[in-house]
Amino acid sequence: MSKIEAIALAVEEGKSKIIAGLVEEALSEGISAGEILNNGMIKAMGVVGEKFKNNEIFVPEMLIAARAMKKGVEVLQPHLSASGVEPLGKVIIGTVVGDLHDIGKNLVAMMIEGAGFEVTDLGVDVPPEKFVEAIKDNPDVKIVALSSLLTTTMPALKETIDAIEKAGLREGIKIMVGGAPVSQEHADSIGADGYAPDAASAADLAKSLAI
Amino acid sequence: MIIIGEKINGSIPSVARAIESRDEAHIRRLARRQAEAGAHYIDICASVDGDIEIETMKWLIDIVQDTVDTPICIDSPNPHTCVACIPYCNKEGIINSVSLEGDKIETVFPAIANTGWQVVALLCDNHGIPSTVEKRLNIAERIFSKVNEYGIPESNVYIDPLVIALATDEQSMTKFAACTRQLREVYPEAHITSGLSNISFGLPARKVINSAFMVLAMHAGMDSAIVDPLNRDLLGLIYATEALTECDEYCLGFIKAYRQGIIGKPTKK
Repeated sequence: MSKIEAIALAVEEGKSKIIAGLVEEALSEGISAGEILNNGMIKAMGVVGEKFKNNEIFVPEMLIAARAMKKGVEVLQPHLSASGVEPLGKVIIGTVVGDLHDIGKNLVAMMIEGAGFEVTDLGVDVPPEKFVEAIKDNPDVKIVALSSLLTTTMPALKETIDAIEKAGLREGIKIMVGGAPVSQEHADSIGADGYAPDAASAADLAKSLAI
Repeated sequence: MIIIGEKINGSIPSVARAIESRDEAHIRRLARRQAEAGAHYIDICASVDGDIEIETMKWLIDIVQDTVDTPICIDSPNPHTCVACIPYCNKEGIINSVSLEGDKIETVFPAIANTGWQVVALLCDNHGIPSTVEKRLNIAERIFSKVNEYGIPESNVYIDPLVIALATDEQSMTKFAACTRQLREVYPEAHITSGLSNISFGLPARKVINSAFMVLAMHAGMDSAIVDPLNRDLLGLIYATEALTECDEYCLGFIKAYRQGIIGKPTKK
């Protein structure tokens, strides 16, 4: 097994205790930070997302994979900046106002981060003006991801998109939405740029929207 | 949770018949299935007359060891039988059991001192099972003074607080839990174990009572049980309770048991 494969496996299996050592070994073998990130960790998170989508693994296993990836990225970070590997772009994510659900939103944040984005998580119960503020603070943001888990908070998806529009910030950013009651039709009807049914698909969607 | 598989016991009629007719295959099957279900120890109790007990135990131990690697829990009310069986075992296991009755401790403790053998200690004495928590803790104190005297590590001791039938004492569970909590505090390194069936004696639908007892006992701090590991519902409850009581980080033990097919609906494959 190559070092890259070992790193990928460690991320997949959530072996956060050995990941830092493996990344350091890979670096000292001369493998580039970008290579380790893309072909080791991001690829592994892709596999994890796929397995989750297919009900082959469970939420805690996804969490420990993400934890392992985080540990690996910590080691990699200085080398990434030094070698000029850029993240795919900035993503702002949050659960809309009135809604306190965070598991699904966290999984999406994790998978998007795992796909190579820089993620700002605004948390749950986020009012439209807070999204607007965050976009103003991060003019280079590429994607805003909105989560709603309740039929009663679905209208807040539209309200948030409208608020972004009204603030004159809609152009240049893509908005994706998701959550149990949300559908592609609903996403289309409120003027979102994309919808994903699960965390793994959300990461793929983010990549396609960022191009 | 340390699971001691209880299936090889001569007091179970089918096992008694297997012992009587020297049905090796039956014993092998019970050993294998318990090991596959994740038993950490396999209890062996011959439950035969004293004059043939040791030879019967040896026969059972040999078959189990020839079938699985799981260490053995030597189960006999006679401490001399327990000690006599130690040399037959390939791995260090558990002696089940001693108490303050008769010369049990004086017989068993010298044999297991300075070894990796562990021991189940019942909280009763020559006067039987005490009804109050206080008296049981007093027995525990006397047992542990012997444990220390022989230099046996606290962690090699499984305390069985003994459970009284709920049918005859409605405070049975409450007392068991209180006793378990206090033992946990005073002897944090020791294990706490119990059989499940006494609690439901004299009541209908006994399995339901046994299961509820186990969950409550685990919640109080019991970390081992002498149970039938082939009972999927019970195993499922054990793993679920571990996860619910913060004894299973990220629920990974629960998920693993599910994936191994030990708990949950039997898989098709």
